[in-house]
Amino acid sequence: MDVIKHPIVITLFGIIPIRDTVVYTWITMGLILGLVLILKFIKPNLLEYILELIIGILDDAMDVDDLHPYIPLLGSLMIFTLFSNLISIIPRMKSPTADVNTTIALALIVVFSVHIYGMIKKGPWTYLKEFASPIFMLPVELIGQFSRTLSLAMRLFGNVLSGDLIVAIVFSIVPYLIPIALTAVSMVSGILQAFVLTTLAALFISSAVEINEEDSKVKKEKDSGIMRLFRKNRKDMANGESKS
Amino acid sequence: MENLSPEVLIILVTTVVSGIAIMIGTMIPTYMQGKAAEKALEGMARQPDAAPQLRTAMLISMALIETASIYVLLVVLVLLFANPLITRFFGG
Repeated sequence: MDVIKHPIVITLFGIIPIRDTVVYTWITMGLILGLVLILKFIKPNLLEYILELIIGILDDAMDVDDLHPYIPLLGSLMIFTLFSNLISIIPRMKSPTADVNTTIALALIVVFSVHIYGMIKKGPWTYLKEFASPIFMLPVELIGQFSRTLSLAMRLFGNVLSGDLIVAIVFSIVPYLIPIALTAVSMVSGILQAFVLTTLAALFISSAVEINEEDSKVKKEKDSGIMRLFRKNRKDMANGESKS
Repeated sequence: MENLSPEVLIILVTTVVSGIAIMIGTMIPTYMQGKAAEKALEGMARQPDAAPQLRTAMLISMALIETASIYVLLVVLVLLFANPLITRFFGG
């Protein structure tokens, strides 16, 4: 099957093999960048509207008091996943997310950033202590983290691959008209999967950064260094904006 | 049946098992998705104000249920296109 195999296209510097997934990822990135640049010069309002739409989706999914630190990660995750799910409707293109390596990379980014946001919000020691609050829950939590990563990756990969595969199989049997309907179905599933991945990442992050009552007392006493740096940076940025 | 070679037997069993697995593995999650949609629609009909939240929750839970059938699909794809048993016992 042409959809499943990922051959090596070029070899960089004679040592780094580049598979076709990477090339399609570059094309997707270029497409997003080009579209954003074109929209920025032609219709800036539309760009703003798209951003407001993404912020609205994230605002529904998360219940945190300040949404700003999470918008760059989750918004770019959503836009990239959406584009790479939908890019297979262009002939001779394959979705980068139909390769398990891309989806595992995305899931690892999500899981590690959940922990990093939790550590920034609560302080590293407080956050890590929650994993072993009764000590026998530690293996269960670790297995939970692992299976969360695996299920994030496999859900996206399986959905996108099955959509592409069904279109390819039907195309090899009936090349006219009928693949259009299945392409529509796979497009709907791709949009839904991008939405679901972003919403799940938002839910994980908001469950990692939510502060319990007894934790907030600890938080007041020792403010973590990273958070102070973060706040200072933002204050500097705000001052710079007001000056200019 | 005696004159079947082991490779043919493995391929035969794999194909039959794949068919049964994809049948059962799509039937039950689809039934459960139907139940989820039914309950969400009942809730939307009873309280139209809460329809957006219900729709979002329904989409997320249906995607999570869909994961089960996707796992079945992945196992079936591995069995059909990259069968580890054949390469393991007969050297590809």
